[in-house]
Amino acid sequence: MNTTLETGSRARELAAICGAGHVEEDPALEAFAIDGVAPAIAVSPASAEEVAQVVAFAAAQNLTVVPAGGFTAMASGGTPERIDILLRTTRLSAVAHHDPGDLTIGVGAGCTLAALDATLAPNGQFLPLDAPHPDHATVGGTLAAAMHGPLKHGYGGARDYCVGVQFVTGDGKLAKAGGRVVKNVAGYDLMKLMIGSYGSLGVIVGANFKVFPRPGGRNQTRTFVLEFSSLSGAIHFRNFVRGSHLTPLCLELVSPRAQEYLTNEAPVPRNPDDYAPSLPGGAPLARWRILLRACGSETVLKRYRKEMGINLSTELSGDEETRIWQHVSNFETAVLERHRNAMFARMNVSPAAVEAAVGAAEQAGLDNNLLVAAVGRVGIGALVLAFIPLSVDPPSAMQYANAISALRSALPLDSAVVVSRCPQQAKLHFNVWGSSPTDLECMRAVKRALDPKGIFNRGRFLV
Amino acid sequence: MTFSSLVRQLKKIAGRDAVLERTEDLMLYEYDAGVHTGLPRAVVFPESTAQVSEIMRLATASGFPIVPRGAGTGLSGGSIAREGAIVLAFARMNKILEIDAENQRAVVQPGVVNLDLSAAAKRYGLYFAPDPSSQKACTIGGNVAENSGGPHTLAYGVTVNHVTGLEVVLPDGRIVNFGGKTSDLGGYDLTGFFVGSEGTLGIATKVTVRLMRLPEAVATLLTIFNTIEDAANTVVAITQEGVTPAALELMDGWVLRMVEAATHAGYPVDAGAVLLIEVEGLREEVEEQAEAIGQVCRKQKAREVRRARDERERKLLWSGRKNAAGAVGRFSPKYYTQDGVIPRTRVPQALSQIEAMAKKYSLTIGNIMHAGDGNLHPIICFDPRDPDHKRRAMQASDEIIAYCVSVGGSITGEHGVGMEKNELMSLGFNDNDLDVMRRLHDTMNPRAILNPQKLFPSAHGCREAAASPELTEKIVGYTEAGHTETAGHPEIAGNPKTAGHSKPADHSGKAGA
Repeated sequence: MNTTLETGSRARELAAICGAGHVEEDPALEAFAIDGVAPAIAVSPASAEEVAQVVAFAAAQNLTVVPAGGFTAMASGGTPERIDILLRTTRLSAVAHHDPGDLTIGVGAGCTLAALDATLAPNGQFLPLDAPHPDHATVGGTLAAAMHGPLKHGYGGARDYCVGVQFVTGDGKLAKAGGRVVKNVAGYDLMKLMIGSYGSLGVIVGANFKVFPRPGGRNQTRTFVLEFSSLSGAIHFRNFVRGSHLTPLCLELVSPRAQEYLTNEAPVPRNPDDYAPSLPGGAPLARWRILLRACGSETVLKRYRKEMGINLSTELSGDEETRIWQHVSNFETAVLERHRNAMFARMNVSPAAVEAAVGAAEQAGLDNNLLVAAVGRVGIGALVLAFIPLSVDPPSAMQYANAISALRSALPLDSAVVVSRCPQQAKLHFNVWGSSPTDLECMRAVKRALDPKGIFNRGRFLV
Repeated sequence: MTFSSLVRQLKKIAGRDAVLERTEDLMLYEYDAGVHTGLPRAVVFPESTAQVSEIMRLATASGFPIVPRGAGTGLSGGSIAREGAIVLAFARMNKILEIDAENQRAVVQPGVVNLDLSAAAKRYGLYFAPDPSSQKACTIGGNVAENSGGPHTLAYGVTVNHVTGLEVVLPDGRIVNFGGKTSDLGGYDLTGFFVGSEGTLGIATKVTVRLMRLPEAVATLLTIFNTIEDAANTVVAITQEGVTPAALELMDGWVLRMVEAATHAGYPVDAGAVLLIEVEGLREEVEEQAEAIGQVCRKQKAREVRRARDERERKLLWSGRKNAAGAVGRFSPKYYTQDGVIPRTRVPQALSQIEAMAKKYSLTIGNIMHAGDGNLHPIICFDPRDPDHKRRAMQASDEIIAYCVSVGGSITGEHGVGMEKNELMSLGFNDNDLDVMRRLHDTMNPRAILNPQKLFPSAHGCREAAASPELTEKIVGYTEAGHTETAGHPEIAGNPKTAGHSKPADHSGKAGA
């Protein structure tokens, strides 16, 4: 147990590294609590070297460290055992180098996605890392949580364009892998290890990326909205697109229930009986939608229209187009604003399994007093599921767990359901990570190699 | 355990006809397509994952190191046995286990030849994107180990971008799985970490790869320049234009003349340099992009922009490019193909640096490069019988690499580190970086039973030496004169010199019969 005295002396030592103004102590830290566990100390180092010193100090004292960026994905993971030090990367926000001619950039981990975008935009470039909350989400946090957005369909994920990474290991070593150039096979590819490691292997302090020409300008973008009376209709269209030569930037599925969260309009007051479990699924509130975003000249866009034929219902451009994608990005927040006890899961399944998986999710929800809204990258099988509690008969903590277990057991091998947010009590009843086909013993060995004392995110990750 | 009892056990595991131990047989496995050699003590051809696992258990128990090998087309010595290791060759594990067209995935054994996979996927309108120049011979297992690239990686990425799952045999014989058909399956991305680990962590025995849809239309442009500077400036201009070609290759005039003499692809022999540019995609897009690129080229003083009229002409141009290094073999008894990377804006500067080095050391250096991503392949010619000539060639090569690193580039873009560049790793990585990589190495391959003395500089290899006192660190020199006649090159298809090179594959076929 920490005593106030211990905390005070640790804070002084950390202040000697980072400056007194950058070390905060309890009780000002309730705001940073994760699942009710507040950090004892929060520290904001100004450089990679300071991060290394903070971690070395923590390792020597056997203190647990939780790295933190913009707090946009902190609800992920298990409940932390304790948080001796919350290590904030906010001050590592500088652009290390931007080489417009080479289409590469290197930034500190604390740089927000919006700031990164603002640096690239004047040169007509961008990074297709469109994770939610770009104003807050940091590069380090986005990589650590392997967050992504609709553009993953067309550009792949961070693992496809992150070309270098700098990080601090659990014993306080500042190390790097990869480099600044777009093609490089020297040494082990530790970018892949860091992406999706949820801060359990190291504190990411900086990353380099290959960037892309920004869509727009001569190559305009359009978003085509297609409506279907059933999920299988939507999947049928998806199959057509995947089998065609079209190469859309985004191919996003929006379930009927998800649509009410993709709008600025205030929610329409509803008859609570709509949500009565006696009517499984109820009457369809709306139709299934696919949002297809394409980029190209007028001739190319004409080709898209021709191929989509009668399925095409609306075509969005300009502000309207920007807005719809902002709504998609903001989906989880919009649900959360109205249902603070909603649970969110990231489901990854093979494209062929999407239809059955979405059906299984809806059923698993209904059986446990939860309604499911789904949005996601239907072409690659990466979906965000919101499990919304029935207002008339809210689920118990156990039912959240049951819904996820039922869904996981209904999915084929090579599928994953990772819960990214749920009520804290529910976390007592199940593992938010689920199982992974990747060998657990190897993962543990990798964890021990980079964080020998297990000080990072103790209790929060899979291993 | 004595070596002869080890061989008996290997025969028991893999079959009597699956182990080679006579020197004349082993000599076919002592080289790859680069400049290093090393004679293995035995070559084994496992047939199944279970056999690989048994062999690794035996190796770990007996302390005899193992080196996995695909087709031996690598250029960095990754598949060469250092100091008496046993080569595990995958010629018998060459089955395509599944093509899942709906999910655009294939599951293959490591010995499947790169181009064979694309050929098998073609009936579904799919293909495997990584296209090393050796793709007619090289295997998917080798591609995974080396994270191989190729001309089209400019648009589609290298091997790691196309692998989603692996079955791996660890040095202790344990069979494990990483990932699967779907990406983001939770936990660490050990698939991504494993690809490009150059056979130093484990042996991939099953690979799940992503297949891509064949493009609707392709346009191949040959743009001809009077000077190499004009060509280099055009590379920079195209990158900045915001058009991403599928491939953007540069060949200088000297290489062109070699290529033309060897393949008669119609390359202009009087040019200073050419760019071979390919755009792919929707018919409409391809037309626009070809037009836009043509305009940039003409603005940059291209003498002529030709477009391949049909598939035959297109294939001819590419066969010229893919066999370029081989064509040089007609001129020089030996050459060394470097693999440095520079930021793309440095292409003009890098080429003049290389020219200056050729002058300084009185060498002939030809230039081919994956210009679009700044991956240089200077071909440094030398006569291996002339020690001074060889020394100058190697000095120039080291200086080229030093230049690449000094401008923020890398020591290798696609050939790997292996035993060619392990001592150069410290140019780009400091002690901390190497220590972290070494720790990860030791989690899976703690006794360095698998592919010892590769990838890490020898100063970082002390643990290996301690683990196997038999192994003394010895940097195998560049090919000695006596070996040059057998040394082939992967980029030589249809060149008489490949004969020596294709022997191992033939031989293993016989061994399997």
